[in-house]
Amino acid sequence: MDLTSFLVQALIGLYKGSLYWILALGLVLIFGVVRVINFAHAAFYVTGSYLMYTFYTYTSNFIVSLIIAMIITGALGAIVEITIIRRVYKLETIYQLLATFGVALIANEAQKLIWGKGVVYISIPETLSRGVNLGGITINYYMALIVVTGLLLFIATIVFMNYTITGLRTRAVWRDPVMSEALGINTRLIYTLVFFTGTALAGLGGALTVPLISVGPGLADYLIVTAFIIVVIAGLGSITGAYIVAILVGVFSSILVLIVPELDIVILYIIAALILLFRPHGLFGER
Amino acid sequence: MYMLRRLRALIDGNIIALLLLIGLLGLISFTGHRFYMYIATLIMIFGIFAMGYNILFGYAGLLSFGHGLFFGVGAYSVALFTLNVYRDPLVGVLFSIPIALLTSIIVGILTLKHGRVYFAILTLALSMIFWSALIKLRWLTGGSDGLVGIPKRGVLVDLSAPTVFYYFTLVFFAAIMLGLYMLNKSRYGLLLRALGTNEDRLPFLGYSTFTLRMIALTISGVVSALAGALYAVFYSVVTPDVAYWTFGAEPLVMSLIGGSSYFLGPLVGAIIFVSLTTTVARFAEYWMLLLGAALIAMILFFRGGLLGFLESLAGRFKLGVYLRWRF
Repeated sequence: MDLTSFLVQALIGLYKGSLYWILALGLVLIFGVVRVINFAHAAFYVTGSYLMYTFYTYTSNFIVSLIIAMIITGALGAIVEITIIRRVYKLETIYQLLATFGVALIANEAQKLIWGKGVVYISIPETLSRGVNLGGITINYYMALIVVTGLLLFIATIVFMNYTITGLRTRAVWRDPVMSEALGINTRLIYTLVFFTGTALAGLGGALTVPLISVGPGLADYLIVTAFIIVVIAGLGSITGAYIVAILVGVFSSILVLIVPELDIVILYIIAALILLFRPHGLFGER
Repeated sequence: MYMLRRLRALIDGNIIALLLLIGLLGLISFTGHRFYMYIATLIMIFGIFAMGYNILFGYAGLLSFGHGLFFGVGAYSVALFTLNVYRDPLVGVLFSIPIALLTSIIVGILTLKHGRVYFAILTLALSMIFWSALIKLRWLTGGSDGLVGIPKRGVLVDLSAPTVFYYFTLVFFAAIMLGLYMLNKSRYGLLLRALGTNEDRLPFLGYSTFTLRMIALTISGVVSALAGALYAVFYSVVTPDVAYWTFGAEPLVMSLIGGSSYFLGPLVGAIIFVSLTTTVARFAEYWMLLLGAALIAMILFFRGGLLGFLESLAGRFKLGVYLRWRF
């Protein structure tokens, strides 16, 4: 194994990790603030992908369709929160999980109904598909775009949470919803907003994935597990942790694939199981 | 006199309903109707699966998304054992018990020490590890094609006639259901339910939550694996699909439909679920959409499931004395 292929693999890992991060971000936000494990998160992610596919094939404008897909997915998320999730806040955790599971079932099936059972795919926009050739593998600008988007999202989230008044309110609700409400913060509004943001981020992630993976039924079932694993390794509710873990897992697994190719998909699960055995609350979890 | 009192304590609405159901299932075999027997066999297999699942979900309050793992372990241990070691379905099914026991203990050690949310996610991850291992270990498990040709006709028993296999399943079904009923009535059944009701109090009473959870998981795992073993023999084929987490979520849906806080809830759910999937799903392609909607409606409006609904109806019309569904 030479150094170039090692480095290339690390770069690919960086980009894979960024994708994991965008997938996990909304989940972390929603769990952190709303305290609901959103089983439908991957379903929203895939919804974003499908919307991107539709709008891109009609408008062939990448940025515009990206934004539309993101906003519509977020709006769907907000609708789900207002009509369903809001009613189960007071119930046990299990019922909250199950309610979102029901949403996921509906979303997956509705997608089959609207977009058919086949896979959909769009090609990477002309300007972004060019790239640099490194040791036989082309690293294109699209991959770079994803890494940059991931980093920007991380910075934006941190800045929003720590340096804006809405962020302060959100953190207050995150820490102690009852006290926040007593202090006059509209917790309901914050919950809906967080749900909107979380699912919109999922939609953005999904939209960014369409040019890379062909999207079809069953993808959400697979992605939700990946997202959960990232979040669990990081520790539920830790944003910085999720970013670091997503990138590390991405890089680590793509380098490991170079050494033991046959482990491919198993690696992620094994890493998760090992870490949880020794650090039950994740690497960056509180408690 | 004492024995009589013990016996009376054991008898309630559940056991009567259960015996009636077993009798009814026995009668179906006399009709000799292929399709009815097919549905009844599936009901028994998924009934076992859902009842096993509900030990963990309804009793101990632990939500598992990885029961496809246990089902898959049962199915694959029968397949591998009968194809490679000893060609007999009965021995194969019995062989799956110790394997499932071992698996449950390993899974328990890995998952039970953390909270309930972690349990849900960890079981999901473990079942996915198992699923991807089944796909990757092509030389052993046949990869995504699975294993074919699991024998119904063995050295000791010959189950190749549909009626014989039907009775074979019925015997397992009856034995497991009566066993679970005894568990439900026993002191341990009470302790397991205490786990779901108020876990924090158990240590004060001198019980270890971990041990009790482990017992619940082991029973649940072994029963689910037996369902998987019967399933593998029934179809003579086993594919990795049975270990995928969406398959493992089916008993959860069954338990919810029937009513997870009732002893017979999962069984009622299995009857409804299997009847629907084998009949309606043929005509309505997108029936999962309805299932999702039904699931949400049940969580929002009647969390007791069908049995809970019936009980509230009985309460409204003052029939509670006659319908003793409760534990």
